[in-house]
Amino acid sequence: MKLATTKKQKESKIKARSKKADDKQKTILEMLKSHGAKIYDDLDNGQFPKFSIPSRSVSNIVYDKKLRQYILGNNAALRSSRNSAQLRSFTQLMWLAFFANRLTNERKSSTLRDVYYSSQAFAVEFEDQSESDNIIVDLEAVTSRAREDFHIFPEERSSIFGDLNIEYTIPGYEGKTMNLANHPDGYSIGPSLTTAELVDTSAEIVIAIEKGGLFTRFVEEQVDKKFKSIIINTGGQAPRSTRTLLKRLHDEMKLPVICLTDGDVYGEHIAMVIKSGSANAAHLRELTVPDAKWVGVWATDIEKYKLPTIPMTESDIKRCYDLQKDPRYQDGIWKKELDVFLRLKRKAELEAFSKYGLTNITDKYLPQKLELAKSL
Amino acid sequence: MSSIKEKFNQISPSEFFYSNRDLAGFSNPTRSLYTAVREFVENALDACDQKGILPDVHLTIKAVDPDKPDPKPYILTVKDNGPGIDAEHIPLAFGTVLYGSKFGLKQARGMFGLGATMAILYGQITTNKPVTVKSSSDAKIQNQFEILLDIQKNKPVIVKHTTKEVTKKGLSVSICLEGDYSKAGNKIRDYVYETSLITPYASITFDDPKGQKFSHPRFVKDIPPPPTIIRPHPHGIDVERIRRMIVESQFEIPTIDDAMIEKVRKDLGLSVKKLSFTSIMEKAKKKWKTLPRQVRVVIALMSFLKMDFEKLNKIRIEDIDMPNKKLFYWDFGDSQSKSVDMDPESQYYKQLTNTVQGEPLTTFLTKRFQRVGPTTALKFASFAKLKPEKRMGTLTNQELVNLSDALQKFDDFMAPDSSCLAPLGAEPLEKGIKKFFNPDFVAVVQRPASAYSGFPFIIEMGIAYGGDIKTGGPHVYRYANRIPLLYDEGSDVVIKVVNDTDWGRYKVKGEPPFIIVSHICSTRIPYKTAGKENVADRQEIERELRLALQFLSRKLSSFMSKRGQAEMAKKRANLYAKYIPMIAEFCTELSGKKKEPNYKKMLETEIASETKKAVKEENEIGNN
Repeated sequence: MKLATTKKQKESKIKARSKKADDKQKTILEMLKSHGAKIYDDLDNGQFPKFSIPSRSVSNIVYDKKLRQYILGNNAALRSSRNSAQLRSFTQLMWLAFFANRLTNERKSSTLRDVYYSSQAFAVEFEDQSESDNIIVDLEAVTSRAREDFHIFPEERSSIFGDLNIEYTIPGYEGKTMNLANHPDGYSIGPSLTTAELVDTSAEIVIAIEKGGLFTRFVEEQVDKKFKSIIINTGGQAPRSTRTLLKRLHDEMKLPVICLTDGDVYGEHIAMVIKSGSANAAHLRELTVPDAKWVGVWATDIEKYKLPTIPMTESDIKRCYDLQKDPRYQDGIWKKELDVFLRLKRKAELEAFSKYGLTNITDKYLPQKLELAKSL
Repeated sequence: MSSIKEKFNQISPSEFFYSNRDLAGFSNPTRSLYTAVREFVENALDACDQKGILPDVHLTIKAVDPDKPDPKPYILTVKDNGPGIDAEHIPLAFGTVLYGSKFGLKQARGMFGLGATMAILYGQITTNKPVTVKSSSDAKIQNQFEILLDIQKNKPVIVKHTTKEVTKKGLSVSICLEGDYSKAGNKIRDYVYETSLITPYASITFDDPKGQKFSHPRFVKDIPPPPTIIRPHPHGIDVERIRRMIVESQFEIPTIDDAMIEKVRKDLGLSVKKLSFTSIMEKAKKKWKTLPRQVRVVIALMSFLKMDFEKLNKIRIEDIDMPNKKLFYWDFGDSQSKSVDMDPESQYYKQLTNTVQGEPLTTFLTKRFQRVGPTTALKFASFAKLKPEKRMGTLTNQELVNLSDALQKFDDFMAPDSSCLAPLGAEPLEKGIKKFFNPDFVAVVQRPASAYSGFPFIIEMGIAYGGDIKTGGPHVYRYANRIPLLYDEGSDVVIKVVNDTDWGRYKVKGEPPFIIVSHICSTRIPYKTAGKENVADRQEIERELRLALQFLSRKLSSFMSKRGQAEMAKKRANLYAKYIPMIAEFCTELSGKKKEPNYKKMLETEIASETKKAVKEENEIGNN
């Protein structure tokens, strides 16, 4: 009886979840349809169709202290199909919306590169992939939706491991579940994982780590079990799908997120982008985890743990000075550590802990930092 | 010890040019063939221009033995319908170096007809064949000469002379010379082609050694007005030139012999009657104004000698000492030297002074130079610190040098007279460019006359775009005094000015199909080298070239922007036709509609309106 109830409950849960996915799909499709209808009506009324698009120029990118991320200001540009200089990109964007509509409708995913090639079937020419990538950003800006919502994904390079049950929503896998601790190499964060429902987890924290090598070490050393954590390899600067996933883990599963990066200015900024996004994606929200914490490797750790270091390059130093002007680096550990990096003019990689033994980082450093994170 | 005796020989001009022939463009068989063609064609055109004859010039080059490899002997013939040359001048004109008819100061293609003799000389030393000259200056008799040049003596040797009856005037010159047509052919064809562009009133044909015929008929029926010969400008002369002008201005004391006495009698209107000294003087006073200079001098001498004709017959003038006012003569009767004093107050004294010491400075300036009036002459005298009445014949060497310097530095002379220039004119130039290139756009300009170092010059320029012009422009056609300049392009002032121009500013981009035709007319073109191929960058010339080019470039720019607008309108029409249907297709599916929106009429209207705009702009271009 009890079992039956559970089963019933589970079924209704699945239904609810798939309804949620359906709802999302519906919203996207309806939004695209309304954009399309506006263009259609313009043409039907014998007018050149036009629409407005938020300006993505540097002057229109502002930092929102409340949201703790970069957002676009109020400047918008009018794109008109009457303007011959804009006609081509107008058509390209129309095609992309049309293509995204099909993808979403059929629940098929594609990559940025796919989009570039698919265009050729419709005689919509793109000079190169960067032109088509740019139009994809236009679509994001117009709709305020990430490309992943339209089933367009970048190449995958990040992965996840840990006790997390997910349920697929992509066609052919609907209702199928998976535990992400089943495969020790981790699961790559692709379209199916990004769109999957997060069912449940025993983990209490998410550890985002910059490098694949350390990710493997963390799995080997069972960091997931020892610290009840989900481990995510961001593969350098975290891709948007990974950032979306981090946000969902935080928002939906109520898990705190900490970031562990190399001890240099780029590492610090990888953590910052997870926390508050990038200027490049100022047109999008829902990509940030404002509560994410950077726990290391800090500049002060270099001295504290007497880590082997390498000197900063010219471009490292320049990057430090650039970030000093960023509003997000004006206080707290962000400012403090940046200043210390500039003073030391040296940097240390995560692997530097191997000087004290291969497991030193998981045995000694990580527990200390996890403890510390609570007070951050 | 033996003494070394150096031997000094005077060499003739022929010998000099023989040993320095590369100076005149006869350095190798390729260049020599090209230069020879130029010299003869230019002489023919110059001769016709001077007489106002529409030129018909026939150029023929034939290999003596077509099967031999280059370089080999060629027979070069240039035939014209010009005035011809009188038989008596032909041997000297074609058989001596430095004999020519172009010494006056006016614009001509060649300077002294020197080049033609050089070509003949070159032909003779490479093939040992005489030059053949056929000339008729009366349209009745044609004289035919075969002439060799005696290089040492600089004298013609007539090998053969025949005559025949003809009905047309004209000159034909034929030489045999070593050349390399396989290498020179391109340049020669270009030369003929470009010459016919700048000489639209001439018909030029060219039969080349390979049997090809190139014909450039005239397309303009009017000859531009011929230049006038004028006096030099003070800025344009040097010490040597002044010295020559002074010599020209002085008259020698005439020899008083029977013939001279007879002439004086005749001019005074005296018969054989014997007349006393006093009555001769009275008669002379009455007739003074009509008397020629020589006669006046004799009368003046007689006035001081107080002799009649009979007595005058028995003496010989020895010296006229103006500063001491004494006249020395040899008396045959007494067999001794005698002298008389001359009264400086006498009007005859002035006459003699003029003759012996030359003109006063002010007269010299006003009479011998262009555009110098009495006021300017006086101003100049004070500037040069010379007395206005200073006799030119009495100037010391140092004074001459100072005078020459002062002439250069004095700024108040009027600008040089440009009537000695013969620009082609804007209209014929434009016609030429239109005929040669069939361009979409053409503009020409003739700048007002300007001067450098006392030499007047005029810049004419044309610019053309599109049509038959090949891409990769600007292609620059350089002319100086109606001669195309084909070699040594890199260092030319015209090229410099063109290269300094930022064409992007004039909306000319990429590898445009456009040409620039530049024509510099001057009494003296400042060539950089003796080869007459590139013009030096004189500041004044560069400035005029710049102004001309800027003027034309602005016109080109407005054409380009009209054309741009026309192209844009066309492009818009095409873009609408291509993209709007695609947008319609995509938004139909996107909005979930079945039927495409009703946009066709709107699109047709827009395309029609853009096409109309394009046509309108194009018409405006056509009207300009």
